[in-house]
Amino acid sequence: MNQFSFESKQKSVLIGGMILGLICLAATWWVGDDGHHTRFWSNFLHNSVFFTGIAFLALFINTAFTTALAGWHVVFKRVFEAYSLFLIPGLVLMLVIIAGIWGHFHHLYHWADPQALLPNEEGYIDEILTGKSGFLNKYWYTFGTLIIVGMWIFFALRLRRFSVEEDKSGTTDYAHYKKTRLWSAIFLPLAGFSSAAIVWQWVMSTDSHWYSTLFAWYTTISWFVAAFASIILLMIYLKSKGYYENVTDEHMHDLGKYLFAFSIFWTYLWFSQYMLIWYSNNGEETIYFHLRRQNYPVLFYGNLVLNFLVPFFVLMRNDTKRKFGTLALVAILTLIGHWIDFFLMLKPGIRETAMHGHGEHTFALGYSFPGVLEFGILVGFASGFLYFVFSKLSQASLVPENDPYLGESLHHHV
Amino acid sequence: MENQNKEVLYGLYDDEEVLMSAVKKANEEHLDIMDVYTPFPVHGLDPLLGLSESRLHIAGFIYGAIGTLTAFLFMTWVFTRDWPIIFGGKPYFSFPAFVPIMFELTVLFSSVGMVITFYTICGLWPGSKTIRLNDRITDDKFCIAFETDNTDVQKLKDFFSSTGAGSVETATI
Repeated sequence: MNQFSFESKQKSVLIGGMILGLICLAATWWVGDDGHHTRFWSNFLHNSVFFTGIAFLALFINTAFTTALAGWHVVFKRVFEAYSLFLIPGLVLMLVIIAGIWGHFHHLYHWADPQALLPNEEGYIDEILTGKSGFLNKYWYTFGTLIIVGMWIFFALRLRRFSVEEDKSGTTDYAHYKKTRLWSAIFLPLAGFSSAAIVWQWVMSTDSHWYSTLFAWYTTISWFVAAFASIILLMIYLKSKGYYENVTDEHMHDLGKYLFAFSIFWTYLWFSQYMLIWYSNNGEETIYFHLRRQNYPVLFYGNLVLNFLVPFFVLMRNDTKRKFGTLALVAILTLIGHWIDFFLMLKPGIRETAMHGHGEHTFALGYSFPGVLEFGILVGFASGFLYFVFSKLSQASLVPENDPYLGESLHHHV
Repeated sequence: MENQNKEVLYGLYDDEEVLMSAVKKANEEHLDIMDVYTPFPVHGLDPLLGLSESRLHIAGFIYGAIGTLTAFLFMTWVFTRDWPIIFGGKPYFSFPAFVPIMFELTVLFSSVGMVITFYTICGLWPGSKTIRLNDRITDDKFCIAFETDNTDVQKLKDFFSSTGAGSVETATI
């Protein structure tokens, strides 16, 4: 079966998931409200950033594989393409956050507070935020997001078009493939720099006074692992439905290797960031870890268990990457683990901003630990993401018939 | 190690695909292959020869774990018992500072240990006698070798000629 059909049963399950997510999201408007509806807005930002980032990383992975002349993934490269198109709804989600900044509906970013740059009662000026105000302002946030995500969407649509046209009018001189390679190579350096700028704006600026040079890579790799974990789960699901019979243990083994290797790379970046800040012991920098380690210890250490110890020890052996059961288990744990990683990046800083720096970080569901509502919202966003991906998968053949690397991919052997 | 000399009959093939089908045919005819020599690893050959998965990586894991523990215990002993010094106002037992060295010793122990284990298993210590049936096995020829002690030599020669071996030779090792 090379044509994916989006069955009405799948549609109704996913729409049900989305409705559940919407109900949970609406509930956080009132449940545990602190006057700024911070729980609602921070959940919205958290999930929008997480799933938009996965879409971006799928585009990045596809272009990186193309540029590296990789062939093994070509059988299921339509999955990467369908993922990357989620950047379009992702931009819409981020526009809601942007509208919130312009209308002062939320209090996610300290720098967006109109009072932030004014002298306080004693006449002191916040010099750090004043120094950063050239970048951290609503104009940069708005136009930076529009230009950068717009540029990603441009590439995603273009590469998708080449790929789908190749099915219909592919020739033996591989004109479509050559164009794909050219545009992939152009995209890579642009993606490298622009993703860092996006991470600074969307994620790092929730801790407005804090900065870390490593943070952009650390966040991007968190997306990377989440993207691979979700692709593994999707492939196992599609195979169980009878699609992708040519995707064998060998392909899943390589996907598992990526999950394993980049979980370790994520740990390397996590530790590099932590150790340098711990060693220099500079108050401006330690505040990030101090806040999280003192007040959110379960998430802080649980993050390392889920995203390092579990994939490291389970996926180390050869056969665990070839058995769908263990692979799926690790993929679920790391997907939730990286969702929690973003939770931990965003929530404490946003909470600090919402309390205007005068509150205690006591235990509260939705901040100290994701509550039932947060998991419901995750289900909602994941259902929306899958609904979009399935509808894009059904619009083209699952296997790119005329791709020059298809033969290599079908005979892949590790 | 055996010091007895063995009579060996071997055939050279030009292509790995031909070699693979020859090995399959040998299995069908229940010929007892002594060994197969190739210039590079051929995918799918190991299961055909009935070789089980290497356990070298298990040894590597054990060596690595020993390395991690060695680094951790040694540094803990040095910095808390033997010669405690305060570095940059940090406590004596500063775990994050130990992690890079723990990582390095893990890599060192597991790689050096695996090299020594591998060389010991294969008998590749300096000055050891190695089996080299034909120089071109290290270049572009694929070789199947049989022991000829208890076998019908004519049957082996028929096998080689029917599977497309370029040349068939004997050797004593």
